[in-house]
Amino acid sequence: MPGAFKGYYLDGRSAARRQASIRLAASGLEIALEDGVRLWWPFREVRQTQGFYAGEQIRIERGTPFPEILLVDDTAFLASLHATAPGFGRRFHNPRRRRSRVLLTIGAAVTAVAVGAVLYVWGIPAAAGMLAARVPVSWEERLGQAAVEQIAASKRRCVDREREQAVGAIVKRLLEPQPSSPYTFRVTVVDDWTVNAFAVPGGQVVLLRGLLERTRTPEELAGVLAHELQHVLQRHATRLLLQHASTGLLLVAISGDITGAMAYGIESARVLGTLRYSRYLESEADVEGLRMLLSADVDPRGMIAFFETLRAAERGAPATSRYLASHPLAAERVETLKQLAASHTKGFRPLLPGRDWGDVRRVCGG
Amino acid sequence: MTAAPATATTISAASAAGGPRRLTFHGSGGTLFGIYVVNILLTIATFGAYRFWGKVRVRRFMLSQTGFEGDRFAYHGTGKELLLGFIKALLFVGLPITALSVAARLSGDRTIYIATQAFTSLLVFIFIPIAMVGARRYRLSRASWRGIRFSFRGRAWAFVRIFVVASILSTLTLTLYYPFFQARQQAFLVSNSHFGRRPFRFDGRGRDLFGAYVLALLLLVPTLGFYLFWFQARKARYFWEHTYFETARFRSTMTGGRLMAQTIGNWIMLIFTLGLAWPWVLVRRTRFEFAYLTVEGPLDLAGIVQEPQLATATGDALSSLLGADVGFA
Repeated sequence: MPGAFKGYYLDGRSAARRQASIRLAASGLEIALEDGVRLWWPFREVRQTQGFYAGEQIRIERGTPFPEILLVDDTAFLASLHATAPGFGRRFHNPRRRRSRVLLTIGAAVTAVAVGAVLYVWGIPAAAGMLAARVPVSWEERLGQAAVEQIAASKRRCVDREREQAVGAIVKRLLEPQPSSPYTFRVTVVDDWTVNAFAVPGGQVVLLRGLLERTRTPEELAGVLAHELQHVLQRHATRLLLQHASTGLLLVAISGDITGAMAYGIESARVLGTLRYSRYLESEADVEGLRMLLSADVDPRGMIAFFETLRAAERGAPATSRYLASHPLAAERVETLKQLAASHTKGFRPLLPGRDWGDVRRVCGG
Repeated sequence: MTAAPATATTISAASAAGGPRRLTFHGSGGTLFGIYVVNILLTIATFGAYRFWGKVRVRRFMLSQTGFEGDRFAYHGTGKELLLGFIKALLFVGLPITALSVAARLSGDRTIYIATQAFTSLLVFIFIPIAMVGARRYRLSRASWRGIRFSFRGRAWAFVRIFVVASILSTLTLTLYYPFFQARQQAFLVSNSHFGRRPFRFDGRGRDLFGAYVLALLLLVPTLGFYLFWFQARKARYFWEHTYFETARFRSTMTGGRLMAQTIGNWIMLIFTLGLAWPWVLVRRTRFEFAYLTVEGPLDLAGIVQEPQLATATGDALSSLLGADVGFA
């Protein structure tokens, strides 16, 4: 047949491939097989299932569920098809539109990145904040109780009623000027030499011995406590949990068909997201904690001095670790706090007057 | 019609003269990335509902870019099937198990909690082999080459039995049963797979891998686990060499060193791009696997006749839910 395209025909019943010569007509394909059999495929009964990418064989199918198949290597076939039967153009891929499809894909890529970034930077934190405000306090308390049992097994807790009452008095002083809150606050001291403190949901604050014995004045401890109380009041732990879960959902949506090793990359994105978000929460607890000190007439220089002690301890850590640390580096924190405290210099009342701090801080014994 | 066998004979003869046959992969990571990006956008816009259609697009791309003897494979699954499969898996397996463990947690009773935990773990354990069989049945039934469908005809309960026996024997023998389990699992998965009416065959035996497994156990700690790549490559070579289709036999020349370089390269790509490189990683991995795989011996394609089997997508969805995902191979 002159002007015909060369191709192969599969009958959908066996895997044998037969040579075919295909001629385009206005309403269908005339197919002549090598053994003399002739077929007529009207355009309205066929569909294209392959040949959407450059260099890919074109595949036309007819019938269901196990169709007859026509395979054509010549990419000019599609162009001729569009020229011969413009009325059926929608059934077949048009290679001339490939360029605009590439542009559309790039546009979609940019949009996807933008939508993802907006959700990630604003959408998820905002949603987590809104949802956290609706989580009942009793749920937080139950969660917090479980967390404290994990962090501070009862045998590692330091019990010294009299000294703990002194620490409790600082908490009371900080909370006095605040509007009443639904939480019952409790401070637990744990015999551990790490310099750290945690706030768990529901009002529990865990102080590690290493941190407590490093404070030189009650004002320094008040700074740490104010920071941790703000974590509780602002529901940071609950927000972090919700944020972690929703980032997980977003990443699952993005990843589609993921298996095995793909999970590693996804998980690294998630860890980075959590760290970034927790740095933001730390800064918020710093700023709100300092305001809390000021409204309770506690000298904020104690908080600043203690953060400077931490900063001295941190010196020597490489600069790159700033991006991987969950806490903003002390240098940055101290600067922010100094600026906020600058306008207040008078009217402070001392904490625990007449008590020797060197004695009070020995909750875990000498 | 009468001329068909003659044509097929000429094709086979030509291939036999040209040496071993190979699977070829023609797609590029860039094209797959385009598909992936559109999938992300539509998935977000539809609150996740599009992901089933997105999955289909990725699978269709991967199969239609895979060629053998000059012809491409094709994928026939639809997003609607995957969505229905997901809903069924969620309703009948995911939700009951989750509800049960939440209820046990809320009851506050320690004994009830532990008993329920044990029961749901057992359920999940039994559903993993069922899901693997279901996923394989669905995916093979939706794949074709030259218009002929693949199929999987193994019974899920037979696979559950292999699993249960294997976990008991592995515990009793301190994991020394593992190579035997792997060989039995492979035998079940391969010999129940069909192309058209004809089955694949597998004649590997666990004892042939036993020495390699003991060596892997001994070298695991001294090599910080890196010896696993060599064991995996050995296993892959052995499994392929004992896989046949009709008179043709598969062969793999993959080595542990190459497998390690590939895998670590892929991890690095994924970690440093926060997972965005996965279209390229998927293409790289597929090309890598095809590069070492050949099919040798005569192959009579004209004798292969269509014989499709029914399958639903529930097992496929279940395998994703339980994290027991299986590939096409």
